[in-house]
Amino acid sequence: MNEHTVVKINGTEYLADHPDQTLIQLMNKVNEQVPQICYNESLGPIQTCDSCIVQVDGELVRACGTKVKAGMKVQTQLPHVHKAQKEALDRVLEKHELYCTVCDYNNGSCEIHNTMAEFGIEHQERPFQPTSYEKDYSGTFYRYDPDQCILCGRCVEVCQDVQVNETLTIDWERQEPRVIWDNDVPIDQSSCVNCGQCSTVCPCNAMMEVGMEGEAGFLTDTEPGILKSMINLTKKVETGYGPLFAVSDSEAAMREETIKKEKTVCTYCGVGCSFDVWTKDRQILKVEPSAQSPANGISTCIKGKFGWDYVNSEDRLQKPLVRRDDHFVEVEWEEAMQYVVDRMKKILAEKGPDHLAFIASSKATNEESYLMQKLARQVIGTNNVDNCSRYCQAPATKGLFRTVGYGGDSGSIDDLGDSKLVITIGSNTAESHPVLASRIKRSQKLLGHKLFVFDLRKHEMAKRADRFYQPKSGTDLVWLSAVTKYILDQGWEDKNFLDDWVNGFDEYRESLEPFTMEYASDLTGIPQEELKQVAEEVATSETVAICWAMGVTQHMLGSDTSTAISNLLLITGNYGKPGTGAYPLRGHNNVQGCSDFGSMPNFFPGYESTEDDEVRSRYEKAWGTELPKETGMDNHEMIEAIHDGELSMMYVMGEDTGIVDANINYVTAAFEKLDLFIVQDLFLTKTAEYADVVLPASPSLEKDGTFTNTERRIQRLYKSFDPLEGTKPDWEIIQLMAKHFGVDWGYEHPSEIMAEAAGLAPLFAGVTYERLEGYNSLQWPVAEDGTDEPLLFTEGFPFEDKKAKLYPLTYELMYDTNEEYDLHVNNGRLLEHFHEGNMTYRTSGIQRKTPNAFIEVSEELAKERGIEEGAEVKLISESGEATGQVTVTDRVRGKEIFLPLNSNGKSAINFLTDNRVDKDTDTPAYKEIAVKMKVLKKKGKSPIPKNNHRNGNPVPQISVKVQKKWQREDYTFPGRGAH
Amino acid sequence: MARAITDIKRLEKSREEVIEENVQEVKEAVADNKDAILEGIELLSALQKEGTLETLSAFVKAKDETLANVVREIDKEQYTPLLNNLPELVFLLGDLNVSGIRSLSSRLNNGLERMEDEGTTKKMNMLDFAKVLKDPEINRSLTMLMSFLKGMGQK
Repeated sequence: MNEHTVVKINGTEYLADHPDQTLIQLMNKVNEQVPQICYNESLGPIQTCDSCIVQVDGELVRACGTKVKAGMKVQTQLPHVHKAQKEALDRVLEKHELYCTVCDYNNGSCEIHNTMAEFGIEHQERPFQPTSYEKDYSGTFYRYDPDQCILCGRCVEVCQDVQVNETLTIDWERQEPRVIWDNDVPIDQSSCVNCGQCSTVCPCNAMMEVGMEGEAGFLTDTEPGILKSMINLTKKVETGYGPLFAVSDSEAAMREETIKKEKTVCTYCGVGCSFDVWTKDRQILKVEPSAQSPANGISTCIKGKFGWDYVNSEDRLQKPLVRRDDHFVEVEWEEAMQYVVDRMKKILAEKGPDHLAFIASSKATNEESYLMQKLARQVIGTNNVDNCSRYCQAPATKGLFRTVGYGGDSGSIDDLGDSKLVITIGSNTAESHPVLASRIKRSQKLLGHKLFVFDLRKHEMAKRADRFYQPKSGTDLVWLSAVTKYILDQGWEDKNFLDDWVNGFDEYRESLEPFTMEYASDLTGIPQEELKQVAEEVATSETVAICWAMGVTQHMLGSDTSTAISNLLLITGNYGKPGTGAYPLRGHNNVQGCSDFGSMPNFFPGYESTEDDEVRSRYEKAWGTELPKETGMDNHEMIEAIHDGELSMMYVMGEDTGIVDANINYVTAAFEKLDLFIVQDLFLTKTAEYADVVLPASPSLEKDGTFTNTERRIQRLYKSFDPLEGTKPDWEIIQLMAKHFGVDWGYEHPSEIMAEAAGLAPLFAGVTYERLEGYNSLQWPVAEDGTDEPLLFTEGFPFEDKKAKLYPLTYELMYDTNEEYDLHVNNGRLLEHFHEGNMTYRTSGIQRKTPNAFIEVSEELAKERGIEEGAEVKLISESGEATGQVTVTDRVRGKEIFLPLNSNGKSAINFLTDNRVDKDTDTPAYKEIAVKMKVLKKKGKSPIPKNNHRNGNPVPQISVKVQKKWQREDYTFPGRGAH
Repeated sequence: MARAITDIKRLEKSREEVIEENVQEVKEAVADNKDAILEGIELLSALQKEGTLETLSAFVKAKDETLANVVREIDKEQYTPLLNNLPELVFLLGDLNVSGIRSLSSRLNNGLERMEDEGTTKKMNMLDFAKVLKDPEINRSLTMLMSFLKGMGQK
């Protein structure tokens, strides 16, 4: 390797960062200007626009397609170099009409406009040549204008190699090349998942969000005929490009006054994408991620990019509701608060604080979680406070606490991208954590990293996997332990790591005795040979990262299986190094933070036990009152306590418990027994229908605060617009309630709440709003000086001797189907909907593509029961029944059925689930349901519309295949004659 | 027993209450922006006196139609040379000596007035021409014209 690569550019010597650097990267870094349009740092060189031509050692080349070399001499300003660049730019303008003043993309960031202006192009040498294609307006979220498209191929690059959905290509072979979807079908009929990244990276207005069209400019909202006249007019009046740019730049500056751009953090899954939201009053024009977004870069999925209609839904509640007999009445805030607090005080006086319980929300901010537990502990005096992580990832947290001491992802999404072998277990990653999945897909596609998938369903990740296994439901612990045992038997363990960093080896080694290959193969159904190969690959791979989700945790042995994953990683030394570690993928935007900030029955913020006297007295001192010591009730225990008459009041913030908890018939029956039930939400949810008081809250776009994503990354969100009239952010509501109890907290901004939390919880000691300004973020633990830990365990584990612990496990199969209930129901997410669908079903474009949940049935089962696509069936479990429409698919096999959890109607999965829970955390065993199936109708219309992406036909390739452009007869390299 | 319910009785505000709330909001805004509002009123009253306000409001009301008409008309082929000339004209204006033109144009006006007053009926012979050359006003005019012709002929 060449240590010092010195390059001479226009006579000045520069030192390259590394020998793999491209010339354009170096030039951009040292500010040696060269025009560039197709080049984008996040995408890498695409080499289509030719505008970055420079002379290297006497020859004209593209700076983006050239790697730095020691002694290289580069010239950018010689007349013939300049001429070649101009030639390239003229060719761009041949494909793109400049009518900037009346263009919706004229917002200061148009890369064609800026490049031309900077280069000083005054006149168009070649006339603009429109294509013979129509604009494609078939999609709901973005549209394509072939007449403005310069064929730079950024959209193709992002679709093929960043999102890795592989829908877009450019057909270079036709007379007029253009971007095409699948095998040349309209946008709407293709495999496009509407992640919107093509419109994000498009340098101009060719691929544009529909929300922007006719909205962004002062003169762009005119009818098409007039707009065309105006386009002509601008071109006539603005004869040279100089005046044109001057006028359009002024117009762009005026737009800054009307269009507001605020950073927010996505409110859907746990990946924690951040982006700017462009708004005009309450209208959302577009969502614009940037290279600075720490978790996602330029990426988004359909929900983050386009799923915001719910914020302006007419169904939003705008006044507090109070139950009067058979209906709700709207009341003013003051009246609602007085009513709530009077009744709470009465229960408090008659039955004591432990008759009241509080559920915080993983949709709400860290500050709001902090205030919910503060209300419960300080104002009411109970530890009965919990949050929805109880439904999903509490077992993962438990498994990690047992072994490595921190209940969060060991590293960052970058580590998953770097890992040589990623294993996913019980995770439908491409649909549940789309942007994170794309990182794994990209590394597998471009860098040859390996992906092993263990799942019941053959979902997208399974289809892409290098190895895919379908172990029998609930047996992951067995193969994990058997693989670990085999590694030890072969002597493949990381001995140095075990000696230096791990305790409890001997006892653990002994506990593995029953987990022979034979036993594992019998129970899981995976052949022994295969398991041995997996063991070998895990042991020999340079770095291994394991991701898991609800397919592991929502079982009766959820915590133990999570522990088994961590044990395997310890044995193979896969902790504390880049590209390694345990990744329990968090399901909601703030499911991590909600637990982190103390809404748990046994922990203060930062996972410090309520029973620890030192900790408790710290909080008692700060809050000026005595605090309860004993662990409170978790969600599951609360529902039981209501049935037992031991809980009289529940206050649920931003959680549709009546749909998302298991066995909802049992849960809603409990709601009916409560003396006082308070629900705080945006909508009159299924849960709110049982409430005595409903308090109208504000969603993320209407408030400031912080969320913590799956990487333990704390990020700020900024208010895009004021709360809808009559609604309040959750933190204000909780504070108002405390005030009515006579406790005046006096917070004026969420930053003050964070300051208090950081002052009390050592895990967040250095967290301040200043350090989180803009796109800055911190990954806990954060030391007082602001040092954070993107990668955990680099200097040991958070136990007294800094050593991790191997945790012995046993196994017993507790669930199975039987003769009567002969089918196993699996459930999970769909890409385009979220959770019960309260938010995503309110986005009409999503509704159009995926109007309802459906039941996936295998081809074998369909044949056996004589049903076809569109059949209607009733699934009956011991707890209840659900009906829905069937789609027959190879995503499931044999007697397994899949039902998306994104339904709040009669297909809701939780009519079927029961009271079985993980033995260690009370997380419902949502994934252990046996049912029988009754056929109601043999066939019918498919529940999946034709225009759903699942019916598309992707066209995988690497990048845009620019060589095919160069091979065209009409192509010459600018400044060099025939190529 | 709290059964699931979905009926909501909306909090109906009387028209008086709504007006009262709105007035209160406006009052507060006025109090916060007293100076700006007083100045604004002055501006409005000035516009009204000139009749500009009326024109402006008629234009705004018909904005879309007016704009469409103008744009469609101007986009016609026959205006293309004119439109192309517009920016050129702007640059031309930049080169002109505007204060010079101002004094010149006031003189032109004087000339026109005299022309109107005295008419073109009166005939003049050569001697009359020689006489008027002595008239300082005419002499100044002719000298100016000669200088202009000379300047224009310069390369």
